[in-house]
Amino acid sequence: MMKKALPYLLLAPMMIIMGVLVFYPVIETFSYSLKKWKLTAPGDISFVGLGNYVSVLKSPSFWYSLQNTLFLLAVVVLFTTIISIAVALFLNVESRVSGLMLAAAVLPWALPPYVNGVLWKFIMSSGYGFLNKLLITLHVTDQPVEWLSSRWLLLLAVALVVTWRSIPFMALVCLAGRKALPGSLYEAARIDGGSSFQIFRKITVPLMLPFVGIGITSTSVTAVNVFDEIVALSGMGDLGKNIVVESYLTTFSFLDFGKGSAITYLVMLLAGILGIFYLRSLNREVMYG
Amino acid sequence: MKIKKGYWIFMILFLICTVGPFVWGFLISVTPEYGMFGKSSSLLPEQITWDNYKILLGGGRQGQLFFTGMLNSLKAVALTLLLGMPAALLSAYALARMEFQGRKLIKNMLLITMVIPVMATIIPIYRIYADYQLLDNIFWLSVIYVSALLPVTTWLISNYFATIPKELEEAALVDGCGRMRAFLRIILPASGPVVVSAALILFLNTWSQFQIPLILASSLATKPVAVVTSEFMTKDAVQYGITAAAGICAVVPPAVLALGLRRFLISGMMGGAVKE
Amino acid sequence: MKKVISVVLCLGLTMGMMAGCGAKEENEGSRQITFMIPDWGVPNDELLAEFTEETGIDVVINEVSWDDIRDKIAIAASGGSSAADVVEVDWSWVGEFYAADWLEEIELPEEEKADMPTLDTFTVEGKTLAVPYANDYRLSYYNTVQYKEAGIQSPPKTWDEVYENAKILKEAKVVDYPFAIPLNAEEAATTSLIWLAYTMNGVVFNGDGTLNRDSVLAALNYEEKMLQEELIDPSDKTSSGMDAYRRLLSGDAGFMTGPTSFAARSSNSEECSVVGQIEPILVPGKIGNSEHTMALPEAIGITKFSKNKEDAETFVKWYTSPKMQKELYKTNSAIPTHNTVLEELISDGTITDSGAMLEEAKRISSPFPNGVPSYYSEMSNAIYNAVNKMALGELTSEEAFAEMDGKITELAGK
Repeated sequence: MMKKALPYLLLAPMMIIMGVLVFYPVIETFSYSLKKWKLTAPGDISFVGLGNYVSVLKSPSFWYSLQNTLFLLAVVVLFTTIISIAVALFLNVESRVSGLMLAAAVLPWALPPYVNGVLWKFIMSSGYGFLNKLLITLHVTDQPVEWLSSRWLLLLAVALVVTWRSIPFMALVCLAGRKALPGSLYEAARIDGGSSFQIFRKITVPLMLPFVGIGITSTSVTAVNVFDEIVALSGMGDLGKNIVVESYLTTFSFLDFGKGSAITYLVMLLAGILGIFYLRSLNREVMYG
Repeated sequence: MKIKKGYWIFMILFLICTVGPFVWGFLISVTPEYGMFGKSSSLLPEQITWDNYKILLGGGRQGQLFFTGMLNSLKAVALTLLLGMPAALLSAYALARMEFQGRKLIKNMLLITMVIPVMATIIPIYRIYADYQLLDNIFWLSVIYVSALLPVTTWLISNYFATIPKELEEAALVDGCGRMRAFLRIILPASGPVVVSAALILFLNTWSQFQIPLILASSLATKPVAVVTSEFMTKDAVQYGITAAAGICAVVPPAVLALGLRRFLISGMMGGAVKE
Repeated sequence: MKKVISVVLCLGLTMGMMAGCGAKEENEGSRQITFMIPDWGVPNDELLAEFTEETGIDVVINEVSWDDIRDKIAIAASGGSSAADVVEVDWSWVGEFYAADWLEEIELPEEEKADMPTLDTFTVEGKTLAVPYANDYRLSYYNTVQYKEAGIQSPPKTWDEVYENAKILKEAKVVDYPFAIPLNAEEAATTSLIWLAYTMNGVVFNGDGTLNRDSVLAALNYEEKMLQEELIDPSDKTSSGMDAYRRLLSGDAGFMTGPTSFAARSSNSEECSVVGQIEPILVPGKIGNSEHTMALPEAIGITKFSKNKEDAETFVKWYTSPKMQKELYKTNSAIPTHNTVLEELISDGTITDSGAMLEEAKRISSPFPNGVPSYYSEMSNAIYNAVNKMALGELTSEEAFAEMDGKITELAGK
């Protein structure tokens, strides 16, 4: 009896925390999204079913924001994945400075997203930005470039900043994954005469995949939920807004809790689709012999 | 020899990209306010002022705000580690090395919460906290951080546990150890590297929490340094210099920690789980 | 490995203990109110101690940044609780807060009301919802040295003169971008358009809440013209409004209309590199100086869900009293909302370099004929986005007007 209960007992603290602080609130928010509920009209709250979703999906502003979100998602995930794996393999090489490098690698992560955005605004801003000063000093251009005033340049800037912040986490996860690979496998492969590239392709990549998987999942979620960097770099204007900014504006600026919750749910749906896609790769359990 | 050269080139590139923005932030923090908006194209400030650091590290009002913020962040990190690590270790052990009904379901449910944005939970959480008067309390803030970080840490640890050879644990079980003792004496000691990694993940993610405390913490006694820093950029007085200085100072504790742990991280990982 | 774990655990434990000590103590017996306010409104400890001594009420300050205060009030109110007993109320929030029924009415004596022209903004349907503690109204500034250098004799009185002068300044190569105005997609671009139209033509909105086409379009055309002739720095399109205003302080702009606080800022050598060159003047108008200026004051109000309304009211009255306004000017440089206090501070030399400050204060009036609307933030969002798109060259002034007008007509019709 005791034996059967043990796993549930071990899981209990986690399940209680998740139940109260994640599952219950998420269901509650869903119930908000089915209501007509604008705080500036307290007398006018009613159940409207999927009405909020319909009106959101009909608004061009939502589709514009969705495009921006998808762009950020694609760029951030691509860059973060490639660079993180490279950084992880780099950190895996033992040298006198590898410890220092590891410390340097986690620095961007320690920065709160908003401060991160501000830091990069110092670099990208058209007036006093570093990038423009650098380009002018190097005589690449004599007029400051307006990084933040066209849609795709702005989004690219945001994506780079988010990538910069997301790399440390993914690199660390990949590093942990790389470290978990038994050295004996490599020795065996080498004895069998495998070249470095073959070993990388046949052993390192497939065995690190689950770790890369969780890294990508987490990065995707980060990329879909970018908020502070956009606000710091360009404010809440139409140009660079993604669906999270849209949901924030609707909920807190326009005080429309019903519609705002519906947009939040759509954000979650998007992240959820990606999540389920990755769950499969994650569930491939890591087993060595 | 060829590999060595590539290594150093990558290192230099890597350092420029990671540390460069901080260097620029530092330059901003020592430039006088009006110098920042000037049209000069020189990369180095013409005048240097340490005023921003004097304000932050001095005993004035803003200095006190900042210091309290740092302390609050440290407290939150400590509590998150204390609550989060045991919960994650136990869950990971159950999920990785035990067979029971609903294992897969629970694991998937846990992992899928990674996709839930703060916005989808924050309003109901505020209401719960307001009802039970848990607002403005570092301990209860930390509980939320734990809920946000459990999926990743549990998954990471359980994957690591899965790589520890079954025979080790089975031997212990045959020797008459219970599951819990096998966990404490065999699994845990072999899991140093992943514990350190997970602790680092908890530390850094808690340290950079922003939106949750923004909404749930109002008083000076609970606001973390990230929120304090953002408040130097207010509607009418955007103090770039101080914000940059605060950002730089706020990165010091995690950087020191990472430096201090680097020996454990690297050597620990090398000698870790799979001793042959 | 055990060593690592024990080190981590020890570290955690000691820090956990530290956290335990930070637990707050609650004394049930004493009277206590909470006060949520941005940093510039926090009264210093001595003043608070005085208040506690006089009244026996303890004030707990929650210093929260300005935009987050609104979020907190909204979330708290949606669940029927109060974010704090006394809260910051910005002029732009009044319509929404009134519609949402979040503020308690405050009774004030008539003579006090008459002395505060900005109180109008916080009065809806005869009810005073909040009392202003810090004033901020639009005042114009120009750089006397730059003007002289370009051979311009007198400060501009009309918007046409501002434009002509800007052209002269640019041609004489005194300054590259002589005119500064916020054009980024944020609140400051909305208020800029509103005061520009208001000071130019004396009207912004029609009686039914829709935009006055002639006036607003004229203001948009003016901005567009300034942009096309490169009299405005391109960085004003993407940097914050505050950065645009601050170009005056670094000598990168010769004329600016903006916050009252720039009178003091422009004589502070830590913030300004052209100290002594900036003079505050009356805001220009169509044929002479404008008879109106727009105020953007900040007030404090009592939340509906507060459980200590009486004590909260005592506090609000104390905090906004003429005596406190003098103190708050000294400690927080908050511009008084009582005109008698402002007059006193200027005449006794406390406020220096005031230029046209007092004269302009007497011209404050509200551009909203029916008070700040309950859909203000949606309206503002429509305005600043259209202005920004025009600045970036995506829309002409006509199209920008059509875009904001469509949205505002829809909002006003509801």
